[in-house]
Amino acid sequence: MNDKELLPWLEQATLGDESAFQLVYKATHQDVYRTVAFLVYNKPDIEDIVNEVYLRMWSSFHTYDSHRPFRYWLHGIIVRQVQDWKRKAWRRIRLFERNRQMTREQFDWTDKAVLHSEMQHDLFDRVRQLSYKLRVVVILRYYHDYALEEIADILQIPVGTVKSRHHLALKELRKQFQMTGGDVYVN
Amino acid sequence: MSIDKELREELRQAADSMDCPPELYGHVRQTYLHYVKEKRGRSRMKKRMLAGIVAAAILIPSAVFASSYNLADEIFGSSSTIEQHGGTQEDYQEIEGLLQAAKGKLTEDEFKAYMELTKQLMQLKLKITDDNGVSHEEKLTDEEQKQWVQITAKLAPYFKKIDGNARS
Repeated sequence: MNDKELLPWLEQATLGDESAFQLVYKATHQDVYRTVAFLVYNKPDIEDIVNEVYLRMWSSFHTYDSHRPFRYWLHGIIVRQVQDWKRKAWRRIRLFERNRQMTREQFDWTDKAVLHSEMQHDLFDRVRQLSYKLRVVVILRYYHDYALEEIADILQIPVGTVKSRHHLALKELRKQFQMTGGDVYVN
Repeated sequence: MSIDKELREELRQAADSMDCPPELYGHVRQTYLHYVKEKRGRSRMKKRMLAGIVAAAILIPSAVFASSYNLADEIFGSSSTIEQHGGTQEDYQEIEGLLQAAKGKLTEDEFKAYMELTKQLMQLKLKITDDNGVSHEEKLTDEEQKQWVQITAKLAPYFKKIDGNARS
């Protein structure tokens, strides 16, 4: 099912049709979960945010502009929920505890989810260590394939800021890989 | 390999290894069902409030007693119509009084429009009121609910005028 076909179901779901809800969840949950998991590392937090994203999906459906792609709207919701959670987390938890928890969770997650794969993961580990502001740009650009202008729109920041964060992120990633110049990457 | 390509490839592979835990479905579903319940509750409350506003608006103009039921008959046909819906002769008398009051305060054209709108509103009102005089707003179709809102919006300025004159 493509995203256009999904819209009537989404509308039905907002009106209380549970089978429509199941269908929408099935079609979107991996995308939602993975996007959140790229941005937040603590498993219970990821799950809370996913839950919030769906709640927002029902309650904000009336604001959805059908001329724009559904995923674009969805990814906007995800990013806003993650940022909202980050703001709340700062208020809620003392910095010290948060850092300790994050470090521990980060290793758990890496072990379980990533190292099983046979790929070389140095680059991905680098991405995970980027600051949130740089990382969100990298995820939207290279995982979701958005143009920098679209990223600016999703994050509600100027394009110039996105460009500089994108540039800085690539610079950080290249530095770790001892780039020899241009886009060429030597292992 | 260019870093662009490498990043895309690594992120895709990493994503493939991050599966949404199946138990999350239960949580999201719970939240969804709660949302639907709340939403239904809210819209019911809205309808109730609306009915309350209409009732209040009808009762606001101070009643002027009238001896004949000409105007009420124009709306309902006869008092038996409201008696079938839990109304009494006294209610009918009161309605006649309100309509007479409106006639005295509005211009001829305004009163004509007012009567027409009131008639439409009362038809809807009768539809949702059972034998015991209890209202069931949920009996209205979506179209009728829209009509209800439109009629009350159109009636509002008349009520204001009737009420304003009554007070002054």
